[in-house]
Amino acid sequence: MKAKDFYKFVAPSLIAMGTLLVFPLVMATWLGLNFMTYRNINNPVFVGLANYIEVLTDQRFWQAFRFTVLFIAITVPATIVIGFLLALFLDQISGHVRGVFITLYLLPMVIVPVVGTMMFRLLFVPSGIAAWLYQEILKQPFFFNEVSVKILIFLNAIWTTTPFPFIVMYAGLQTLPQEQIEAALMDGANRRQQVRYIVIPHLSSLLVFVGLILIMDAYRVFDSIFVLTQQNPIYKAASVMSYIFRIAMAVQQLGLANAMAILTVIMIMIVLIPLLVYTYHEQIEER
Amino acid sequence: MQKIKNPIALTLIYLVVITYALFSVAPVVWTTLQSLKTPRQAYSPTPLFIFDATFDNYRELWLNSVPKNPWLVGIILAGIIIGLVVIGFNANRIPGQNYIIYGGILVVSFLIMWMIPKFVNTAEFYKYFLNSVIVTLGTVAISLSIGCLAGYALARYSGIAGVLILVAALGFRALPSLALVLPYYWLGQVTGLYDTLALLIITLVAVNQPFTIWMLRSFFMNIPREIEDAAMVDGCNRVSAFFKVIIPIMWPGIVSTGLFSLLLAYSDFLLAKILTRSNWTLTVAISQFTGGEDPGQLTLAAAAAVSATIPIVIMILFFQKQLIKGLTSGAVKG
Repeated sequence: MKAKDFYKFVAPSLIAMGTLLVFPLVMATWLGLNFMTYRNINNPVFVGLANYIEVLTDQRFWQAFRFTVLFIAITVPATIVIGFLLALFLDQISGHVRGVFITLYLLPMVIVPVVGTMMFRLLFVPSGIAAWLYQEILKQPFFFNEVSVKILIFLNAIWTTTPFPFIVMYAGLQTLPQEQIEAALMDGANRRQQVRYIVIPHLSSLLVFVGLILIMDAYRVFDSIFVLTQQNPIYKAASVMSYIFRIAMAVQQLGLANAMAILTVIMIMIVLIPLLVYTYHEQIEER
Repeated sequence: MQKIKNPIALTLIYLVVITYALFSVAPVVWTTLQSLKTPRQAYSPTPLFIFDATFDNYRELWLNSVPKNPWLVGIILAGIIIGLVVIGFNANRIPGQNYIIYGGILVVSFLIMWMIPKFVNTAEFYKYFLNSVIVTLGTVAISLSIGCLAGYALARYSGIAGVLILVAALGFRALPSLALVLPYYWLGQVTGLYDTLALLIITLVAVNQPFTIWMLRSFFMNIPREIEDAAMVDGCNRVSAFFKVIIPIMWPGIVSTGLFSLLLAYSDFLLAKILTRSNWTLTVAISQFTGGEDPGQLTLAAAAAVSATIPIVIMILFFQKQLIKGLTSGAVKG
């Protein structure tokens, strides 16, 4: 394809992304340098780096940041491990029932996150069946408190996210090199050794890819936290995104919120840049 | 891997697989049950599984008042829907291009949804549902049109600019969207577009564009270059070859991408929450319920959640193959 044709074809998409992705990001950086609330939205007051400094010294922001890191550290490995085990197990089950299980497993992922979280929450409200089971088994009522809300946030994330690593790895298992398995069988390798030396290496590139996506998605978790905490600070379960949302919408400090958003963008670069560099080299080689 | 033969191990595996399936569907099943109860039944001290089901919650959610002759309205609507479905399934036998027929069905269904409030006294919730439909369809249509052009070009062009665009797009896909939404809010306030569906559609198109072009590109890569080369030898130029030859082969890929684009637009909460005040979409309307520990609200909230999920469940039943293909092609970066 000639360069002239190329630009003709990509122009609409490039214009859309330029005006609504690149420009807003620059805009956010600039708005972050201003004092702005809903009252002076048309004439913000320039305050330099004051907002950025305020964010970096804000205890609550760091608390939200630590919670987000904890959220990533718990949910990402958990979903990958559970997804992997489910894929291995489902692979053992006879063909025609598999389809049914796959449909059931995919359901939590396609449900709208806000709605799914609300359904999940309905299990644990006083009239919910999970709350009832808790009461029956532990002989004490289930309450929403700092600890239980956090656990629910993690459980809910596992519920919604596991289908993704599951289906990717399940598809990966279907392309397992059969000769290697047969050779391993001849050499008397047991099942655990096969998983360790053939299956996991075969899936490892997928694992890295899935892991990076899961980390970046977990970093911007918002919907489920919004529903489960009701924006209530007593649970101390704000994520970075839900804290920024609160500063922007409830506290109405738009300048501060923009500065915060830009700083979180800079922080995710630690994970993002290696991925981008890798993709760049991959694409350069492929073309 | 070879199958496990040991019956105890196999039983254990089945047990795990079934338990996880129960965990997967439990919230949906429980919410559906709750939505069919009266508040009194929903708050029963031991959970009820067998009870007199009532559709009162759904009626209260969707209708301000029941039409005088509900059966007539129901039968007319059901007739139209069945008619459209029958036409859809027999599109191959009807003369004319398939996509014109599918497009026609889409337009007619949308017009019917639009007209319903004129005949039936629908509640606020219907308005939010219609908003969601408009936003979703608008986003998918625009995303796919501009995304197909870009995806095709990126699959065929080997210059460095193409690689840079792809890498930048991936970067934007991964960014926390709040960093973009707050400036949108500011833009909306300054331009007066705040609280309009148009603003929601263009911003959703932009936010979803990186993902759309990546996915479409990966499908275009699978189409051999020889096909359009042959068409170009036969006298097509690049543009007409694209529309006449490539797009008709690309349909499965476009459907797959459209499906994801649709899910993303329909699921959006953050943008709609920040960019609307009263012109809500379904997600924002439903999030209003979540505070409701108040007994009257709970069953209504459950009905709202189930109502928003039914379209998704129908879709996954029809399009599971495309969904899985999209998820596993490695094109879904996020």
